[in-house]
Amino acid sequence: MTSIARDLPAAPRADREAVAARQARARRRLLGRGLLYAAAVLLALWVLFPIYLITITAFSPRDAVYDYPKQLIPGTFSAETMRFFVDAEGVLGALWNSVLVAVVTLIFSTLIGAPAGYALARFAFRGRDAFRLIVLSTRAFPIVILSIPLAVSFIEWGIYDTVWSVALMHTALALPFTVLITSSIFISVPRDLEEAALTLGCTPATAFVKVVLPLALPGLAAASIFTFVLSWNEVFAAVILTLRERTLPALVLAALNQSPVPFRLAAGWFMLAPSLIFIFVIRRYLLGLWGRVSR
Amino acid sequence: MVPRDSDSFFRSRRASRRAVLRAGAGVAGAAALGGFRATAGTAAPSSLQGGGSIVFLSTQLTPVEEAEAMRNEILKDFQGEVEFIAEEIGPFNDRVTAEAQAGKGTIGVLGGQHGDFSALAKQGVLTDLSDLATELQDRGFIPQYLELGRLGSQQLNYIPWMQATYIMAARRDALEFLPEGVDEAALQTSLTYDQLGMWAKNINDAQGQKFGLPAGEKGLLHRFLQGYGYPSFTGGVNTTFKSEDAVAMWSWLKDVWQYTNPQSVSYSQMSEPLLSGEVSLAWDHTARLIDALRQNAEDFVTFPAPRGPKGLGFMPVVAGLAIPKTAPDPAAARSLIEYLTRPEVQATTLREVSFFPAIEAELPADLPAGTQLEATAVQGTTGAEGALPSLLPVGLGDQGGAYNKVFLDSFQSIVLDGNDIQQVLDQQAVNLQAVLDATQASCWSPDPASEGVCKVG
Repeated sequence: MTSIARDLPAAPRADREAVAARQARARRRLLGRGLLYAAAVLLALWVLFPIYLITITAFSPRDAVYDYPKQLIPGTFSAETMRFFVDAEGVLGALWNSVLVAVVTLIFSTLIGAPAGYALARFAFRGRDAFRLIVLSTRAFPIVILSIPLAVSFIEWGIYDTVWSVALMHTALALPFTVLITSSIFISVPRDLEEAALTLGCTPATAFVKVVLPLALPGLAAASIFTFVLSWNEVFAAVILTLRERTLPALVLAALNQSPVPFRLAAGWFMLAPSLIFIFVIRRYLLGLWGRVSR
Repeated sequence: MVPRDSDSFFRSRRASRRAVLRAGAGVAGAAALGGFRATAGTAAPSSLQGGGSIVFLSTQLTPVEEAEAMRNEILKDFQGEVEFIAEEIGPFNDRVTAEAQAGKGTIGVLGGQHGDFSALAKQGVLTDLSDLATELQDRGFIPQYLELGRLGSQQLNYIPWMQATYIMAARRDALEFLPEGVDEAALQTSLTYDQLGMWAKNINDAQGQKFGLPAGEKGLLHRFLQGYGYPSFTGGVNTTFKSEDAVAMWSWLKDVWQYTNPQSVSYSQMSEPLLSGEVSLAWDHTARLIDALRQNAEDFVTFPAPRGPKGLGFMPVVAGLAIPKTAPDPAAARSLIEYLTRPEVQATTLREVSFFPAIEAELPADLPAGTQLEATAVQGTTGAEGALPSLLPVGLGDQGGAYNKVFLDSFQSIVLDGNDIQQVLDQQAVNLQAVLDATQASCWSPDPASEGVCKVG
């Protein structure tokens, strides 16, 4: 614009050029936006299309599953395979166990992980970096070689084959991430606010509960999605530590590998749906609050 | 179908092997069914009575429908509560081992394939069931299966539970491409490997590569080589591994591979490719074909595996029932085994999940269409002229995987990579001998019995 101001006589031409430039910019922006949307749609399809296929085949009659080429719009609806799967012994119980385990894991890992994350974020102490690393290194330990000793210990303690044993194991698996995620969340909460609260009469505890926690909640929600999904999908520990009180992935693992395709799809959908619902519920909450923290 | 009196299940021509694979004593169908009625009311021997809930952990019948059939139909009349839990072999072993180490268990009965018990038997965590076998003598367990249950030791680690084998299946629309001189009846009695190859070629010329073998990671191609290809072409397995006849077998396979759906290297079972029409002619385990046959029995024909120059090689598979030493109520566990091996329960097992009896019994008449298709092919196999049964290796223990690898590596090298057959076999023969030396295994059928370790030839 400065060039236009300096070069007055040429104004009408410059104006036209400016208009053209603006139009070009607008076109470019439109194009850019179009590309962005196209990429977003592509990415969304990449995730949604398989989910869509699983859903329609899970609710198709058995022989339609083998049709080739696949029908994109399902011809007939049938909940028969799904009903057989859901009615099969242990499925509903396993669903309930999975929810219980995930919730208990969520509570345990937040109760233990969030304070650790807070300490890492707020206090400088000797060995902080080492602690960070050690926390992560537990994830590098292959759980396979632990399976038998773990099962033996849990049998001896009398919590083998219960929701508690799996929840404890999942807490141990989720903790490294909970600690690291929450610590970065607490770092992003301005320390000034906490100090202001302290000068205005809060104790450290009430400052944490009334000021830090509300600001950190969206981040904690994000961490909880992570924990929930981890626990929901975890198969190995669940298979080893339960026998009758199976979680859903543990129950379907054995059944799915050898079952005909219609059952695999039905079970796949059945596993997918609850975690999608959970993510949708948490996500709304997450977006509602996210803005406040990041601004 | 009422079983024909001469058509007893798993009847083999050779007297020495007849006992292995027969499940009928040649009794007329009506009499046999009468026998079922008579035994239906038999009470369990008093020593076998127990109660309480029994946890029954099994690597067999894991698919949802089969597990449900086990719970709702097969276990229906058992006096007592059973929790049937299906499990993959890995966790199955870990769990039983963990319970043994903790000295405290919840599992009452274990169900698995012959090979599934080898690791557990080696650790000594299974109860000796010799006395139970004696008590249940009148069930008529197939004696060689009892022998297999010892896994090369003195102890009887499992009681035979049920058996299966491998057959061929084809889509009906592939029948029009049968080679000259072969019709549907001939399929059941006299199909040769050469004719099978010609058939695959004819289908290929008209419709593309539609022959299928389960050569995927979890497929059972090694059993095709060990129990079908080798015995049929060479009359042996280990003693004829690199012989001229073996070269002929491999060239046959290499030739047929041109007409084979290349997806075969990803198939773990043939039921789905057959259903979807990707494949119209296939060989596989009965349990891995049954889904297609159950779903669309009228679309398929089944028939015995083909015969080669040395006969019709085939391989029966046996599953057994064991009791871990940590079983909370051994008496109840024994009563469950007693129940599952009753003739009428064995018949229900066949009807519901298409696994054949491990005792000498006539097949029931009222089989579902898919199971009947399998039963026909199985009877055709075992009753065939020149049937050559291969038992699973008894003495290999935990070297079973290494043994299979020799065959799969040879397949990879010869058929997929196109290397010289004799050269590959000479190399692999060294590996095979190493496996046999490591386990000190002597030769097993169809190789002639050996003094000491089996020598690869």
